[in-house]
Amino acid sequence: MMKIQTVTVIGVTGTMGANVAGIFASFGDAKVYCVGRDIEKVKKTIPRIVKSVKADAIRKNLIPADFSMLEDCVSQSDLVFESCKEDIGIKKEIASRVGAVLQPHAVSGTGSSGLSIEEIASCYPEELRGRFFGIHMFNPPYTLPLCELTPTTYADKDLQAELKEYLRNRLYRTVVEVKDSPAFLGNRIGFQFINEALQYAEKYKDNGGIDYIDALLGPFTGRAMAPLATSDFVGLDVHKAIVDNIYENTDDYAHETFVLPEFATDLVSEGKLGRKSGGGLYQQVKYENGLKRQTTFDVNTGLYRDVIPYVFPFADKMKRRIAEGDYQKAFELLVNNHSQEAELCLSFLLKYIVYSLYATEEVGYSVEAADDVMATGFNWCPPLAMYQALSTVADVSQLIRERLPEICQRIDVGHYLADVKPSKYDYRPYFKSGR
Amino acid sequence: MSKVYILGGAQTDFERNWKKEGKGMIALLKEVLTDGLNHAGLTFDDVKELNKENRVACFVGNFIAEKYTDQGHLGAFLTEVDPAFYGVPSARYEAACASSSAAIDAGATKIRSGDYDVCVVVGWELMKTVESSVGGDYLGRAAYYEKEGKGIELPFPKLFGRLADETLKKYPWLDEQRYMDALARISVTNYDNAKRNPLAQTRRWFMSYEQASTRDTETNPLVGGRLGVSDCSQVTDGAAVVVLCSERFLEERDIENKPVVKGYGHRTAPMLFEKKMADNEGSEYTLPWTRQAALDAYRRSGLTVDDIDVFETHDCFTSSEYAAISAFGLTEPGKEYEAVESGQISFSGSKPINPSGGLIGCGHPVGASGARMLLDLYKQVTGTAGEYQVQGARNGMMLNIGGSATTNYVFVVGKE
Repeated sequence: MMKIQTVTVIGVTGTMGANVAGIFASFGDAKVYCVGRDIEKVKKTIPRIVKSVKADAIRKNLIPADFSMLEDCVSQSDLVFESCKEDIGIKKEIASRVGAVLQPHAVSGTGSSGLSIEEIASCYPEELRGRFFGIHMFNPPYTLPLCELTPTTYADKDLQAELKEYLRNRLYRTVVEVKDSPAFLGNRIGFQFINEALQYAEKYKDNGGIDYIDALLGPFTGRAMAPLATSDFVGLDVHKAIVDNIYENTDDYAHETFVLPEFATDLVSEGKLGRKSGGGLYQQVKYENGLKRQTTFDVNTGLYRDVIPYVFPFADKMKRRIAEGDYQKAFELLVNNHSQEAELCLSFLLKYIVYSLYATEEVGYSVEAADDVMATGFNWCPPLAMYQALSTVADVSQLIRERLPEICQRIDVGHYLADVKPSKYDYRPYFKSGR
Repeated sequence: MSKVYILGGAQTDFERNWKKEGKGMIALLKEVLTDGLNHAGLTFDDVKELNKENRVACFVGNFIAEKYTDQGHLGAFLTEVDPAFYGVPSARYEAACASSSAAIDAGATKIRSGDYDVCVVVGWELMKTVESSVGGDYLGRAAYYEKEGKGIELPFPKLFGRLADETLKKYPWLDEQRYMDALARISVTNYDNAKRNPLAQTRRWFMSYEQASTRDTETNPLVGGRLGVSDCSQVTDGAAVVVLCSERFLEERDIENKPVVKGYGHRTAPMLFEKKMADNEGSEYTLPWTRQAALDAYRRSGLTVDDIDVFETHDCFTSSEYAAISAFGLTEPGKEYEAVESGQISFSGSKPINPSGGLIGCGHPVGASGARMLLDLYKQVTGTAGEYQVQGARNGMMLNIGGSATTNYVFVVGKE
């Protein structure tokens, strides 16, 4: 296996930089140069890295450094991982600096979640370009093992195979090879779903908007966290960067579902990004006496109000069935209930299956790739498992034709459905009861 | 007397937190029974049919659902899982962390006697319903609660910390550093093994020799005497099913190549830890009744330690796996460190212990662990353990203990 004894992580004070440094220092047992702009800030990040893998033993592997030491660190490293701001200018500048001193045997990678890997690679000297890859992990990598590996056209194929083996067998990542396409595969599928949910929050603003949509796409539909709560968790700024990038640089049948609704653009410009900024799509109000109130942004009024405890009969019954492990009965309720909410919910799940199959053909190399990215990067019931789950009560391809006529007009759904295989993931753990 | 065969079974993914999924024991039992029967080539309708002639029974192993989930009468509870269990003889067996071994023993006995042809054993525990300190107190009832559990924070880590102390006391030639290193290595081996087991609780967790051998730190605090968190098994939600059957049933269905339960041992040591230690004075072993249970299983199976290719043991703490090494007969008592240091018990060694990851790596839903171990032996001797397959395993032995090695159950499973 590839011998990686020394690693440089650039941009270590960021959430991903810190967490990825933890992965290299623990599973990889590598000496990690932790490079950030401000060495004092880097030193303060070390305990966070230790905590991210729950192991004091890695502390000795973590060596703080700043940008003035970058060349020194890189020239001693077997692997360099750049995890700076998602800004092509910054990334190219760093690539040039790394490329100037990278050892001939070393590997270099970027954690970029969607910029052009090819463009960054071009900053490396010609003889080193083949040693540069996209290595995109998900947050937090200790619990979400997905790693999207993106080769460029320059890629050294043997090196790619070795790197893949290292990531899989040494760092215990679920490695999915993807093409150099905006946002890669996981975020392409995930944010298609999340952004369309956000558009529906605007469309159904008179029904309640954000919390209304989340209430009908919650954990009982095969995920740990409802889609708009997920956006609030990762931050609307990150969400915006991802969907803008996809919208500008791709053109598929779901193109319009990547347009960020105006109210969300406004929230971003006001700095209301989500949990990390103290409020965004949701806002938790804390009182001095310790009481907490969960509020949400009301698209109609532009003000925050209490989250509404919606009770949709179909969802309520589904949750009760799931609580007792009667998954089939739960899916029967979903398929056979014709309330507006049940139909919306089912159409989202069907669209998710279709878009996953479509996107994996464009961005991935196998239909299973879609399953791997959604299960291990998002913790959502992956598309093939979702297909299998619904197949226990209905003919899913028939259902897709009935419920998604517009999409069926735009693409040859039959072509994509022909790729469906049994999933290696068990759908049951993903469908949760409770809110 | 009929031989006892293992038809198949299943375990749940021990990584799952059923409370977080908003599911309780009905969902847990539905999933594991559906999967277990399915793996054994049976359906709920088969159960119904067999029951018409009173040929099937259920044996439920669970330690203390009365506390964790406010539910007793767990044998009867299966009727809530599926109507196929209406009328099927079913009862719950309890022997602390060895509960499902007691259930296996009861089922195997009924097959041997010819009373039933199919015995469905299901062991389960949901432990994440309460905070770990509360759960730790519940588990104290596996000891003499009034004297060893009540009002004591985390009583079991303390008892197995005392076992570590007693081990050092009993074998004066045993260097403390050497012993603690062996315990750290046992922990690391279990975590490493769990990485190959797709149903293990800790399959994504990080552990290294350095982390395990450096105790009393923020991420590896001491939990019982000299033992750290890394020496300790997990708090786990989970269930395991094994389906036992008679020779007659195999013949009827034309099924071949199923493994056999070749022998068992069942011994009970004094309940109080103090008495247990006083009782071992005349023995070379720290846990003489654990050793005796293994000897009984060897005698009943007609096998010796040389015939056993794989072991699953009860590593509720590293100190209990350490004691099991000599109880199995892999080393002389007091020389257990040899098997650790030589790599004999590691996955690639000649006598691997816990290829599944054991209680430390795979997880320890207390009432399920015995059934989970038997299922793992089934997988090993049928060559179906996937990435954690021990090559060429023909015979396997398991040790499941309850309390502070008070109840001791050993089973030998092998090819005919």
